Amino acid sequence: MAESGFQSSVSSDPRAGTFLDGLWASLPIALGYVPIAFAFGVAARGVGLTLAEAVALSVILYSGGAQFVALALIASGAPFLVSAFTLIAMGLRHLLYGPALMRRAGPAASRRHAWAWAWGLTDEVFGTALGALARGRRFSEPFMFGLGLGAYLAWGAGTAMGAYAGSGALAAWPAVEAGLGFMLPALFLALLLSVLSRAQLPVLAVAAVATVAVTLAWSGTAGLLAGMIAGAVAGVLNRKGVRDAP
Amino acid sequence: MRLEVLALALIVGACNWAFRYVPTRANLHELPSGSPVTRFLAATGPAAIGTLFVASALPLVNDRSGPATLTLGTGVGAVLLIYAATRSVAVATLAGALAYGGAFWLVAA
Repeated sequence: MAESGFQSSVSSDPRAGTFLDGLWASLPIALGYVPIAFAFGVAARGVGLTLAEAVALSVILYSGGAQFVALALIASGAPFLVSAFTLIAMGLRHLLYGPALMRRAGPAASRRHAWAWAWGLTDEVFGTALGALARGRRFSEPFMFGLGLGAYLAWGAGTAMGAYAGSGALAAWPAVEAGLGFMLPALFLALLLSVLSRAQLPVLAVAAVATVAVTLAWSGTAGLLAGMIAGAVAGVLNRKGVRDAP
Repeated sequence: MRLEVLALALIVGACNWAFRYVPTRANLHELPSGSPVTRFLAATGPAAIGTLFVASALPLVNDRSGPATLTLGTGVGAVLLIYAATRSVAVATLAGALAYGGAFWLVAA
């Protein structure tokens, strides 16, 4: 039943992405995720988690920053509730992604299976989906499934490889490690270029300044939230600037 | 598997899913164009992507263990150049990572 719904939404509009289009679009994310997830797997074993526990955190929790903080909390013996509330608070920025994406997708966009594909709506998946819409791709749920699945599998596989390999696996290839480490900044920069317009420059400037200031003064997580909210508020104040099209 | 690790993953994972899914159900298309909420949502995407770029590049800028300026400049330059030439996010991303790793290798050699 689900498949027939997907097919009809795809075949009616050639600009609507297919599942394979989404999978292809997830390639840069996947290449960026594997080394980070690998590092998480290594770190998880380092604090005493088993391979199964490391992979469980990645496939159930599925939030990179929160997972690394989870390791620190587990290693420090923090109380369970403190750990849970800290990690939940780190995910609050995701509240912004759904409305922004669906607003850009348009009123005809199907959300029938959003309960499933929204699970994979990470920072990178959100950015890639928004970039695709900005370049003229019509929103489709199969595309979102492909995009999310590619990223999710890469994250889980990277974690498993890291937890299995243990520390020092990439130590012999520092240039490869460095290149892989630049994958996500490169992805975000390319996405930024794909949605950039003159009207959004004030939004980006405010977001960048807020991110740097709050990150240096407080923490990376607070910096992320501050940058996104400050940039969006700048968009509200900039009446001549941002409209619906990113 | 320890129960506390599994419980932590399940509770936080459930909240993450709710944060990602529930807001997609909001009906925002009847909002008047140009309203503050509309402008906020329209600016959220660019602001989020800009924030994520700055946040992910910041540790590389602060990295004092290697030739950060040269490698970062090479990687960023490659992304800008290749995106301008191809208009492809995937190709520009891969080229940027390749250039960054290559510059790192050249400087370290």
